[in-house]
Amino acid sequence: MIVAIVATITFALIHLAPGDPFSAVMDNPNVNERVRATLRAQYGLDRPLPEQFVRYVGQLARGELGWSFSHDRPVREVLASALPNTLLLMAIALAGSFTLGILIALVQVARRGSATDHALSAISLFFFSMPDFWLAILALLAFTYWLPLFPVGGAVDPVMHDYMGFGARIADRLRHLLLPALTLTVLAAPGVARYQRAALLDVLPADYIRTARLKGLTEREILRRHALRNALLPIISLLGLSFPALLTGAFFIEKIFAWPGMGLAVVNAIGTRDYPLVVGGVILGSIMVTVGSLLADLLYAWADPRLRAR
Amino acid sequence: MAPLTRARLLCALLLCACVGTESQSGKSTGGTLVIAAGGDPDILVPSLLSNVQAAEIVDLVYDRLANIGDSLNILNDAGFTPRLADHWTWSQDSLSIAFHIDPLAKWHDGTPVRSNDVRFTFQSTIDSTLGSGTKALIATIDSVATPDSATAVFWFHTRTPQQFYDATFQMPIIPEHIWKGVPPSAWRASEQARHPIGSGQFRFVRWIPGAAVELAADTANYRGSPKLSRVIWSIAPDFNTVVTRFLSGETDFFEALRRENLPEVAKHPELRLKQYRGLAYIFAQFNLRDPANHARPHPIFGNRELRRALTMATDRANLVRSVYDSLAIPALGPTVRAYPTTDPSLAQIPFDLARARQILDSLGWRDANGDGIRERNGRPLQFSLAVPNTSKARAQLAVLLQEQLRQAGVKVDVEQLDFPVLIERLRKRAFDVAIGQWNTQPSPGSIRGTWGTAGSRASSGSNYSSYENPVFDANVDSALASFNPPARKAYFTKAYETIIQDAPAIWLAEPIPTVGYHSRLQLAPLRSDAWWAHIADWWIPSDKRIPRDNTPAGTATAPAESAGRKTP
Repeated sequence: MIVAIVATITFALIHLAPGDPFSAVMDNPNVNERVRATLRAQYGLDRPLPEQFVRYVGQLARGELGWSFSHDRPVREVLASALPNTLLLMAIALAGSFTLGILIALVQVARRGSATDHALSAISLFFFSMPDFWLAILALLAFTYWLPLFPVGGAVDPVMHDYMGFGARIADRLRHLLLPALTLTVLAAPGVARYQRAALLDVLPADYIRTARLKGLTEREILRRHALRNALLPIISLLGLSFPALLTGAFFIEKIFAWPGMGLAVVNAIGTRDYPLVVGGVILGSIMVTVGSLLADLLYAWADPRLRAR
Repeated sequence: MAPLTRARLLCALLLCACVGTESQSGKSTGGTLVIAAGGDPDILVPSLLSNVQAAEIVDLVYDRLANIGDSLNILNDAGFTPRLADHWTWSQDSLSIAFHIDPLAKWHDGTPVRSNDVRFTFQSTIDSTLGSGTKALIATIDSVATPDSATAVFWFHTRTPQQFYDATFQMPIIPEHIWKGVPPSAWRASEQARHPIGSGQFRFVRWIPGAAVELAADTANYRGSPKLSRVIWSIAPDFNTVVTRFLSGETDFFEALRRENLPEVAKHPELRLKQYRGLAYIFAQFNLRDPANHARPHPIFGNRELRRALTMATDRANLVRSVYDSLAIPALGPTVRAYPTTDPSLAQIPFDLARARQILDSLGWRDANGDGIRERNGRPLQFSLAVPNTSKARAQLAVLLQEQLRQAGVKVDVEQLDFPVLIERLRKRAFDVAIGQWNTQPSPGSIRGTWGTAGSRASSGSNYSSYENPVFDANVDSALASFNPPARKAYFTKAYETIIQDAPAIWLAEPIPTVGYHSRLQLAPLRSDAWWAHIADWWIPSDKRIPRDNTPAGTATAPAESAGRKTP
């Protein structure tokens, strides 16, 4: 239901925006209105909007996402080639940001009130507040130009990749993946850290923590074995909520790092008014978010014995 | 050096030993040119493409019957050099031209180029189901006959000075045997549109969407092998990424440097800059019709004297210097200096703020309430200035123009618009003033559509200002019909002077395209309409080659994308 509502709203919004695929990309004095009209008719854009919508829903019912005007390929093919790249980026960023975020929170709570705690809070807040695109541009300049450790965007070296051996190709992919994934990780980790820190501080006054202290456990053991386990439950909820943020963050990261994922395809499609690709991308994105939230709920139920007992 | 497998490296080096030879002129052949590109080509079909990346690739893969010269002369065949046609013959009445196809010319699949390919190219271009913008540009051509397989005869409706240009420049020749099975309405979605087979000095290798397009030297080409082995467009959609790729050495060539990039380029001794005369001009166009009722003149800009006053209040030299530094000069009018028909000493409306204020006063636009903005009959002298949000330079121009006009007592509201939104407003004539740019062709004839009455009255016309002046139209028509170069230039001069004095726009800037390139690259002259026109003559000395130059062209192992696509 959520996916259907999102698809309908997106379809309406993108069609309400002025222009169409053939006005945006063909601002050429030699392309007259008759030519544009022919093209609009060929792709059914001359039909009333409700009719276009009904046709689109019919296509969707048959599992077809339509035809991409800007790629001149089926939307399904465009998204199928882009999706693995986005999932790879998101998966690494998700794993990285949660690991890093939890570690930061543990350090902060272990040294709560200290200068380290305050410094980490300030750094987290700094990166948490930073716009995605700005950090991405900064990272691009810093680590590809000023300190050239990584290649400048793309998924592989377009010139040499196909002439490399198997191992070198893997290394080439990793070199290209690392910087966008790290950037996305750095953007997402502060949110996890702040959330986890608060959750840990919530459980520390609990009776079982006091009991653990009385048993003579060290502060590190208390945090790792007792506090962290119980404070992880809210983080599982955050996991589900992180999907939309990571997905939209990935959109900017993909554009700046020329990472050939879904975000890049959809952002470009908005500019060219490639209606089917925009709607197709949003549908796929909403499915990813819905499935992500569902998985988070299932994980929560699995992790919390109280829910399992019910 | 990026690692290669031992076998491939050996193979690559062997191939380099064969390919990377010294030519008779002492210039070695071989090497890879990597061009930094800001986007994918839209489609690789000559008659359907609409972006510059596609034009660059198509021009290298396909050949025309003859090539326009660097002077951009379009009168008859002066300056044109043979390409697919090794020679041509004019009929006595000049209503037909017989092009004789070079017998050595072959498509990249080995099939010989024949006259029926020329006829097929013409017929498919004028097919209304194809939806090609080129159709309107070759309206003077009646038909193409093929008396034999080596001769294509173009028949024209009328004798015109640029009929040779129309027959050659507008139509790169495509292979009939590749395209004949595809209905023109399905060309956009066809496999052939993404994997072109041409006859140019470079053949298509692969297109990885969003990443790269690769061409390789056609070493058996009838015009000889190009000096470079490979040309690769390295694609990134973000401008900063494209620039960084160039500065970091990942690419060799970048065609669209901006003013703010120049200091950074200067820090790299291995990078060079080169400027050439371009074919674009930038202007702030007034809407001469009332956006609410197109039958009425615009309440502000319908007045010629007011438009002249606003032009007079604009210090164009200062504005252009502030925004573009050395990358542009003030525009002369709706033309560019690269045209042989443009007189660079065209009389301009001079910058004179005091005089502009006087004119506005005399027109009844006075600041009665002392708020700094002029009014007349209770209406403030205030309007919106639309600019596309895709152009940083035009946004800066808008802000500076706003400030300059404020000093004349005019209030300008700058509106940054999404590009499709701006285009839609222009088409509907729903704007006050808009900063636009026309990228023209070698023929100045497009001015008919962009500033002539025909372009104003047609619903599909590109004369968004709705400027109409029969004197201007008559001079343009006479210029385009004239076979005499001095007379042609004189007519154009009169036309330009007329429109400059009528001021339907403030002619702001003529960009000077500035390319950046690596010093190991030896460039040939950059042609005004297409810097890439002579890429086949670019070369990289063997002692300046780097590892990526030594990969064998066209032997990539990974497929670019799956074949056998469906059509919609």
